[in-house]
Amino acid sequence: MRKGLLAVALCGVTGSAMAVGDIEILARTCNNCHGVSGVSAGGSMPSIGGLPSAYLSKIMKEWKYDKRDAATMNRIVKGLTDDEINALAVYFSKKRWVPLPQRASAAAMAKGKQVIFENCEDCHGATGSDPDIDAPKINGQAARYMALELEKYRDGAFEMPHRKMNKIVRKLNGGEIDAVSDYYGAQRK
Amino acid sequence: MNAIHRRDFLKVVAAASGASVLSIPNAHAAKPKARVVVVGGGYGGATAAKYMKLLDRGVDVTLIERDRLYTSCPLSNEVISGERDIKTLQVGYKGLARHGVNVVHDEVTAIDPVKKTVATAGGKSFSYDALILSPGVDFNYGAVQGLTKDLSESRLPHAWKAGPQTLLLKKQLEAMPDGGRFLIVVPPGPFRCPPGPYERAAQVALYCKHHGKGKSKVVILDANDSFSKKPLFEQAWKELYGYGEGGMIEWVSGANDGKVERVDPNALTCYTGFGEHKGDVVNIIPPHHAGKVAKDLGLATFKDKWCEVKPENMESVKLKDVYVIGDACVGGELATNNAFPKSAHMAITHAKVVVASLAAKFNGLPPPVPLYTNTCYSVVAHDWGFSVVHLYRVQNGQWVYIKDGSGISPVTFGTREAPKPVPRIFRRLEAEYADGWLRNVLKDAFA
Repeated sequence: MRKGLLAVALCGVTGSAMAVGDIEILARTCNNCHGVSGVSAGGSMPSIGGLPSAYLSKIMKEWKYDKRDAATMNRIVKGLTDDEINALAVYFSKKRWVPLPQRASAAAMAKGKQVIFENCEDCHGATGSDPDIDAPKINGQAARYMALELEKYRDGAFEMPHRKMNKIVRKLNGGEIDAVSDYYGAQRK
Repeated sequence: MNAIHRRDFLKVVAAASGASVLSIPNAHAAKPKARVVVVGGGYGGATAAKYMKLLDRGVDVTLIERDRLYTSCPLSNEVISGERDIKTLQVGYKGLARHGVNVVHDEVTAIDPVKKTVATAGGKSFSYDALILSPGVDFNYGAVQGLTKDLSESRLPHAWKAGPQTLLLKKQLEAMPDGGRFLIVVPPGPFRCPPGPYERAAQVALYCKHHGKGKSKVVILDANDSFSKKPLFEQAWKELYGYGEGGMIEWVSGANDGKVERVDPNALTCYTGFGEHKGDVVNIIPPHHAGKVAKDLGLATFKDKWCEVKPENMESVKLKDVYVIGDACVGGELATNNAFPKSAHMAITHAKVVVASLAAKFNGLPPPVPLYTNTCYSVVAHDWGFSVVHLYRVQNGQWVYIKDGSGISPVTFGTREAPKPVPRIFRRLEAEYADGWLRNVLKDAFA
């Protein structure tokens, strides 16, 4: 019995899946704020695991090259090479998207559903789980994070390059923004 | 494949022994791949223990920590002002146990680096192949004449380790009369949480402003001539609370006789070289150094205070197979004054560097190239925060501070000749990010 177990254990030693590759080292520094495998503890910090790599690398590069404002991330990504940014985007895109459904009031859910139907659904899907190819999943994304992102589009002093998002979000008021965020944040699927 | 084999292996053990899944860590006691002992269960130690298990379940990991409940120092200044409940900063060790970490609540009494054993007050002894020390800091009360440990726990709380003293200082602030003077005494650097005293000044002023104590003063008596995020703090102080002449917050630099040499605890008076400052609340942060357990081992080789470590893996320069992480160590680009800041984020970074190196070593793989990052938020009002970020790489066996991936939040927009104010949304976002950061680092380290 004991010998058999040792053989299995030794077989494990020679395996190649030890998580010590360079990209793992780099990705682990993202975990502090975005969680293991990119699953955030929520609040103002988004989950990033399972989002499309093209989306993740585009945003990081926009920050790096000052095409998109950020409060903190723009400074962080300026220290990374484009290759590192691409590798990080691929790494996190291969993780599973893990929705973290959050509670929302019935009023917010009703209002959110209506605003989403009129403004968001075409690109992001009714629940955020089936978006257009260049858009991120947002079902069960951190609601506070989403509300803050939408505030960025509404604030004229904050440079956000996505034309369509700018046009649509500027039509919404603060209550609608909160309701949309709560609704998508509450979705499991 | 390794992970799958490992899981199958564990299933076999569990089935054969009839053991529950929860008791699987004991299976390693018979033949662990390696034994890692972690001393100190703050951000650094907790992360090291958790990630060691995440990277290789076949390693036996023991964490020795005195307390059963951890209270985060980051954002504890918000507890003093009443902006945050201390419970939001507290976490236990069950999350680590779920990862298979053997959590031992005990106090380390002796370390034998030759026999590679750690002895505890509870009479236990642990053998290690690698020892990770994350002891935080201990205070040198004697450096301020008249100050004692007892006084720090009663009349003159430092609240530089979050917990009972944080709540004590909050009570003293609440009892302070309008027009009272709140003194914050800052020790010579480097100290734990470089922007902490200045954030505290803002949080105290915030409390006074909104609780009918608007005539009060917050006086920072500083042994140093500059401080972390200085232009950002000064801008916020000025705009929110008044700074300098006639303002609520006053900063006395070391060059302006700000260094406190002596305190009279009964008169609540601090004495500098030439002056005296009477307070209603006196918050003295004593000078500190690497935690006792590391210092007693002779590892505090830097100015007899901090432990020097190797850039590639945080191993002590003095003792083989002993690693020192968190506030107790010193690292970074010292020559250019870009040393590692003593922050929670940095401690988590250190921990991940050590265990990646150990996982490679235990499995006969080449050592990974580490990367060190820091993010540190300061919150000066509920809708006003800012940050500093740091990036260090290791090149030619040395830490290199990467300026492009480092720096503070913008102080102004526009040009140098025609500066414009930074739009408030940037400050508001970073106040919100501070909270999101806290939730995530607590989870990353402890859950």
